[in-house]
Amino acid sequence: MTQTPIYSDATQAKGEAFIEVAEVDKFFGDFQALKNINMKVGRREVVVVIGPSGSGKSTLIRCINRLEKHDNGSIVVDGIELSDDIRNIQEVRRETGMVFQQFNLFPHLTVIDNITLAPRQVRREAKAVAEAEAMRLLERVGIPEQARKYPGQLSGGQQQRVAIARSLAMKPKVMLFDEPTSALDPEMIKEVLDVMVELAEGGMTMIVVTHEMGFARAVADRVVFMADGQIVEVGPPQHFFTDPQEDRTKLFLSQIL
Amino acid sequence: MTATQAPERETAPVRSSSRGAAWARANLFSSWFNTLLTIVMGGIALWAGVSIARFLATADLTIIEANLRLFMVGQFPADQLWRPWLATAFIAILVGGAGGLLAGDAGQRAEESGVPYRPTRLLDIVRRFWPIIALVVILLLFTTTPTPTILTIGITILGLGAYYAGRAVPAGVRRWSWLFVVVMILATYLSLAGFGGVGWNEWGGLQLNLFLTVAGILFALPLGLLLALGRRSSLPLVRWLSVGYIEFIRGVPLITLLLAAAFAIGFLIPLDLRPSTVTRMLIAITLFEAAYIAEVVRGGFAAVPRGQIEASHALGLSTWKTMRLVALPQALRATIPAMVGQFISLFKDTTLVAILGVPDLLHYSFIVNSQDDFLGKGLFVITLGFAGLIFWVGSYTMSRESRRLEKKLGVGER
Repeated sequence: MTQTPIYSDATQAKGEAFIEVAEVDKFFGDFQALKNINMKVGRREVVVVIGPSGSGKSTLIRCINRLEKHDNGSIVVDGIELSDDIRNIQEVRRETGMVFQQFNLFPHLTVIDNITLAPRQVRREAKAVAEAEAMRLLERVGIPEQARKYPGQLSGGQQQRVAIARSLAMKPKVMLFDEPTSALDPEMIKEVLDVMVELAEGGMTMIVVTHEMGFARAVADRVVFMADGQIVEVGPPQHFFTDPQEDRTKLFLSQIL
Repeated sequence: MTATQAPERETAPVRSSSRGAAWARANLFSSWFNTLLTIVMGGIALWAGVSIARFLATADLTIIEANLRLFMVGQFPADQLWRPWLATAFIAILVGGAGGLLAGDAGQRAEESGVPYRPTRLLDIVRRFWPIIALVVILLLFTTTPTPTILTIGITILGLGAYYAGRAVPAGVRRWSWLFVVVMILATYLSLAGFGGVGWNEWGGLQLNLFLTVAGILFALPLGLLLALGRRSSLPLVRWLSVGYIEFIRGVPLITLLLAAAFAIGFLIPLDLRPSTVTRMLIAITLFEAAYIAEVVRGGFAAVPRGQIEASHALGLSTWKTMRLVALPQALRATIPAMVGQFISLFKDTTLVAILGVPDLLHYSFIVNSQDDFLGKGLFVITLGFAGLIFWVGSYTMSRESRRLEKKLGVGER
C-alpha cells in the first residue's frame, strides 16, 4: 500500500499572505495581554511562537480563531476579517484547526466519534464517508486500532494524536497548536512531534506555540519571540538561535538552552 | 463502562475463638474506660434488641392485614383491582427491559473498546435488590389468598424475561429503546386510567405516592432543563426570569406551595375549571422540583471543563450544537447521582399531601387507626412503622443504585 501523505497541499504557492494580524490589542480587565501585534503568515508557512509564560503567545493564536476576542486592530484569515458577525467567525473556524495543550477530546465519545462529530454535524458528511476518512487519518497518526476506545483509555500521546486527527478531519487550511506537547510525558513527545513534522512537510500552514526548540529549529520557517504581550524578535531559525539581536531574546535563549 | 463489582465487604478478622477473644480485648476492653463503655453500650443495645423482638413477636398485625389494600392502592374499586396488577406487570417489563437494553449496550461498548466486562447474573440482581425482595415477601405474608403470591411470581418472571430479552436485542434495534420506554409508561398509565378505569384523582395509597414522584420528576425534568439553560442565557431578561423563578421557589418550603395549590389557587379558578386536588398537588410538585433540577443541571454544566466548549467551537460547531452534543451529555452524566438524590427526597416529600387530606400511604397509615376494630388501641407505631418501612426500602434501594452508578460512571470515562 502506498502511503498517502497525512496532508498535501501543492496548489498554493508558498509565501502568499494567509493570516494577517494588524495592530491587535487584547485586554483581560486591566491587564494588557497583547500590545500592538503585527504578524503575517504566508501559505504553507510554519511559524513557531516562543516566549516566557504569560507573554501572550497562547492568547495570540486563540484570537486567530476567536476563542478570544481582540479589542483593537484587525485579524484577517484567508480574506475573511474576524468581526462580531457569527457567520464570519464560523467561516474562519472552519478553515482553522486547533490542537490544545490538554487535548480536550470529548470523554463521552469514542475516538472515532470524536473525529467524525464535526464533519458530520458541520459539513453534513454521511456517516460512512466521515468514518472512512477518520480511519484514514487514524492510520496516518498511527493508531487505527484505538478507533472504538474512549479517550480515557488512551495514553497522553495517543490522545494528542487523536486530537490532531480530529482537527484534520475538518480539512482546515491552517493548524494552530497551543503547546501541544507540554502536558505529555517525555517519552510521548516525539510521537506527537513526528506527526506535526509530517504535517509541515505536507505543506500545511501552521502556527505552533511550543517550548520544543528542536522542533522550531528543524521545521519552522520563522520563529517569533514574544515577551510581555509584544513581538520582540522575528527571524528564520538559523539566525534566531545563533545570532539573536535583542537582549530579551538572548536572555530567554540563555535560560532555556 | 465495565460492570466492576463493588469490592467484597471486608470479612471480619474474627475466625477462631482465640482470635475473637484477642480482637475483643484490643477493641472492646483495652482500658477500664473502654470496658465500662462496652458494658453500658452493650446493655443498651441488648435491651433495645430484646424490646423490638418482643414487640414484633407479640404485636397484633391484623390492622396491616385488614388494610393492606388501602395502603397499596387506596379506594381503588374492588372489581377493578386487576388494573393495578396489570400496571405493575407493565412496570416490571419496563424496568426489566430497560435494564436489559442498557446492559446490552454496555456489553457491546465494552467489547468494542476492549474493556473486560462481566454480564449481570441472576444472583447479582438478588444481591442488589434484596431490600425490595424482602419487602415484597413481607407484604405477601400479610395477604390472605394465594392470588397475590401467584401474580407476584408471574410478574417477577415477566420482569426477568424482559431483562434477558432486552439484553439480547441487536444493536440496530436498540436505538428504538426510547419508544419502548414511552410505550410502556403509556401502557402503565392506561392500564390504570384508560378504558373505563380510574383517573388519578381517585388514586390513593402507595400508588399515589409513586405516581406523584414519577410524574413530578418526568414533568419537572424538561422544565428544569429549560430553566438551567435560561440561567446561562446571554439574554438578560431570560436570565433574570430564570434566576428569579429558581431563587423564589428554592426559598419557599414545599408545604407552602402545596397549601397554596390546595387553597389559595383553588379560589382563584372558577369551580368548573378548577383541577382536582391531586392535579393541583402534581402541578405544585412539578413547579417545585423544576427549580431544584435546574440547580442540579447547573452544577452539571459547571463540571464540564471550559476546554470542552473551546474544542467544540474550534471545530466549527455552533453554540447550540456545542450545547447539545458536547456540554449537555457530559453535564447530565455528572448530574445522575444528584438527580437520584432529588428523586429520593421527592418520594418522601410526596407524603406532605396527606396533610391536605389527599389519601396517600401516610394518610391511610394514620386514619386506619380510627376504624371501629382498632380505635383507641394505640396501633400508630405499627401502621406508621409499616409506612416508614416501605419508604425506607424504596429510598435505600435508590441510594444503593445511585452509588453503584456513580462508581460505574467513573470507569472508562475521562
